[in-house]
Amino acid sequence: MKIEGSHLFKSPGEKVWNCLIDPQVLARCIPGCEKLELAGEDSYNAVLKIGIGALKGTFISHIRLQDKQPLSQYKLVVEGEGGLGFLKGEGLIRLAASGAETNVSYSGEVQIGGLIASVGQRMLQGFAKQTISRFFSSLARETEVASESALTSNN
Amino acid sequence: MAVAKYVCTRTKRKEDRRLITGLSTYVDDLKLPGLLHVAIIRSIHAYAKIKSIDISSAQKLPGVVAVVTGEEIKDKLGSVPCAAQIPDLKVPRHPVLAIGKVRYVGEAIAAVVAGDRYVAQDAADLVEVNYEPLAAVVDPLKALEPGSTVIHEECKDNIAFVTKTAAGDVAKAFREAEAPIIKQRMINQRLIPMAMETRGVVAQYQPGDKMLTLWSSSQIPHLLRTLVAGIVGLPENHVRVIVPEVGGGFGSKLNVYREEGLLAYLAMKLGRPVKWIEGRRENFLATIHGRDQIDDVEIAVKKDGTVLGLKLKVVADLGAYHQLLTPLIPGLTGAMIVGCYRFPNVSIETYGVFTNKMATDAYRGAGRPEATYLIERVMDLVAAELKLDPVAVRQNNFVPMNAFPYTTPTGLTYDSANYQNCFQKALEMANYKGLREEQKKLRQQGKYMGIGISTYVEICAMGPSSGMPAGGWESATVRIEPTGKVTIYTGSSPHGQGQETTFSQIAADELGVPFDDIIVQHGDTSTVQYGIGTFGSRATAVGGTAVYMALQQLKEKVGKLAAHLLKTDSSAFVLEGGRVTLKGDSSKSMSFFDLAQAAYHAKSLPPLPPKMEPGLSATAFFEPSNYTFPFGAHIAVVEVDPETGEINFKRYVGVDDCGRIINPLTVHGQIHGGIAQGLGQALLEEAVYDENGQLITGTLMDYAIPKSVDIPWFELDKTETPSPVNPLGVKGVGEAGTIGSTPAIVNAVVDALAPFGVRHLDMPLKSERVWQAIKNAKPRA
Repeated sequence: MKIEGSHLFKSPGEKVWNCLIDPQVLARCIPGCEKLELAGEDSYNAVLKIGIGALKGTFISHIRLQDKQPLSQYKLVVEGEGGLGFLKGEGLIRLAASGAETNVSYSGEVQIGGLIASVGQRMLQGFAKQTISRFFSSLARETEVASESALTSNN
Repeated sequence: MAVAKYVCTRTKRKEDRRLITGLSTYVDDLKLPGLLHVAIIRSIHAYAKIKSIDISSAQKLPGVVAVVTGEEIKDKLGSVPCAAQIPDLKVPRHPVLAIGKVRYVGEAIAAVVAGDRYVAQDAADLVEVNYEPLAAVVDPLKALEPGSTVIHEECKDNIAFVTKTAAGDVAKAFREAEAPIIKQRMINQRLIPMAMETRGVVAQYQPGDKMLTLWSSSQIPHLLRTLVAGIVGLPENHVRVIVPEVGGGFGSKLNVYREEGLLAYLAMKLGRPVKWIEGRRENFLATIHGRDQIDDVEIAVKKDGTVLGLKLKVVADLGAYHQLLTPLIPGLTGAMIVGCYRFPNVSIETYGVFTNKMATDAYRGAGRPEATYLIERVMDLVAAELKLDPVAVRQNNFVPMNAFPYTTPTGLTYDSANYQNCFQKALEMANYKGLREEQKKLRQQGKYMGIGISTYVEICAMGPSSGMPAGGWESATVRIEPTGKVTIYTGSSPHGQGQETTFSQIAADELGVPFDDIIVQHGDTSTVQYGIGTFGSRATAVGGTAVYMALQQLKEKVGKLAAHLLKTDSSAFVLEGGRVTLKGDSSKSMSFFDLAQAAYHAKSLPPLPPKMEPGLSATAFFEPSNYTFPFGAHIAVVEVDPETGEINFKRYVGVDDCGRIINPLTVHGQIHGGIAQGLGQALLEEAVYDENGQLITGTLMDYAIPKSVDIPWFELDKTETPSPVNPLGVKGVGEAGTIGSTPAIVNAVVDALAPFGVRHLDMPLKSERVWQAIKNAKPRA
């Protein structure tokens, strides 16, 4: 399944970038993220709780940030497995800052298997859209907080 | 036989009362003391190495009794059997639980046994399988290519078998063609049989006498007993198989599955009874699928539509492992490809290919619906190419009625038929000429009506033992009990076909006893003499004939005993109204009750005649000399909405000839259900694996089966051409509707789309696909 889209942040590029690579921020923003631990450089072990329709389950996941080009782009690789099956995803996250605003675009491919494939395939596109939109709105709040605190500390 | 009172009448099924009032006992209704429940851990990958399996958390869950993996059973249990015998057939090991690798999504890896089903399932979720995913082989055409990933290490490639046969002079036929060779690739898509009752197994082992009892939802109790004994290494006479009520099989339970071997093993290991009931999602993944062929047809014709010759190439997607009959199914397609037509020049190439999917095997029709679909589409392609009426093309090519028995170029001998007559009846019922006129008018109004025809012949009453892996006879015992009641033990294993009723009808007429005095026992290997089972429309034609033969033996003894008791030299008795009466002398008569009493007490005055054994029981094994070949003509009339691609039925006419009919009611039942399932293939059903081998039509929300609203009104009639193969003259009707309906419906839709230049569409004809075809079409001037 292909995933593509973008989100406009009302924050400058640096703030958005810092949030996008901050594991604590990510842990707060990824819907269903119960745990996110550093496993190595730019590499994390995560526990994700996912519910698609009637299917609910936990994925033990491994997340990597690769090919980081600060303030510009990185590749996100996610691999998870659990009672519902498995998921594998890879996507490119790109930032385009213009003044006080930053556009984040993403494009990637997700592969699923097991129960979520046979039962959830039909609902997956909608689920992905919703999850990503929740992620970005949480992230937007985080960047605004970050911007405010940055402003405060500047004063 | 006295005047038939029951045979040929619409006798209501004696099975139905218990079925519709919920009083039947299925496998899941069994309750045994100390019963444990089994849940199975199945692969989430289509192809992967199993690096490790961690069962420790599952074992710790309170209530869990055992967790077993492939490692434990690999040297203890035999392979899941395949009965096919094809030269150079590759038969890779098919373990009860995966060993080292998994080869399809849903493959059983491990099993948890617990005190209740919920705990077993919870524990199954705690089993951690560490996989190393491998690139799955999903497309059968790619699997054929050299250099493709090989699914089974012990085989050098993914080609399980190749067969090539030819008859006549195909090259000459193609040289002499008077029109361009017609070529078409057609897809017989993968289907899921979807019995209403999923599979289920209960196993119990008594260590004292080393007796294993296995309850299973199966179509073949005796074969299952022999083959499960082989898997677990018990002597066959230490295994008893009981098949209780079965909620549908359609071929999917004509098999021996991993779980049958596994449950037998667990019962023996634990010394406690164990139960496994397949969930619907498991049923999608791990019960055999049907069809799945890519068929290339080439056809050489004369200008008048006479077929000169045909070339067929079948690529059959077998899935990852052979089930019982997997490699044999595509062969039936080749065998029946000539349909009811007389062309002598045929060449057939069949490739059986392994892919990372569930195995395909016998699903209602098993190879014949594929053949009929191909040849009936071909007849319409010929008509379209030569601008002839599809009716005329068929009539022109029919095997004439004076040609029977007719030996086909594929080596079968059609027993009896009158294709012209049956087709004519259907054309008249449908008012074919009137329909064509209506079609013309509607087209002028921008309405797209289509008329689709299928004239099918199929192969039933399987079959002579020479053509069957496990023998093709059937057995019956008929016992008149001391009170004159009658018990029939049949080796058939009816599971919806209604043989408790039809066999009772036969016996009631032969013995002249009340219908309700007869019961039919089946499905328990400890009470029934050996048998083969119910599939391939054999239960009545072969099993019913065995009943008939046992009844003849019994009547001979009844005659001798009655002559003795009534003190007459004649043994010509009339059996009627529960009495045995001397022909032409009603004063010499006795009740069936008195006769039976005398036979069992063996002390009547006068005593039994010299050399006569006490009791009234006879057993017969019927070995058919040939298959039977039922036939028919189906006509579907549809209207396609060009805006939405939706298909609406206007008419559905079917004339079927299944030989002599024992019970018109059960015959119609079979035809109704058959048409519904054939309609499913034509319009709705498709098992879809994605490019990674994930089954993405894994629920009834995603896999569309026909519902009552999808089914048209059936206008049905019959012709009755008795089969000379058995004394009942019956042919079989289990698959007829499925075989006849699919091509009729597809032909109707393609006919409706003719104004758009549509020549062929692959099934299922979902409205989206039809709409696309209309959208992409360039309207013909």
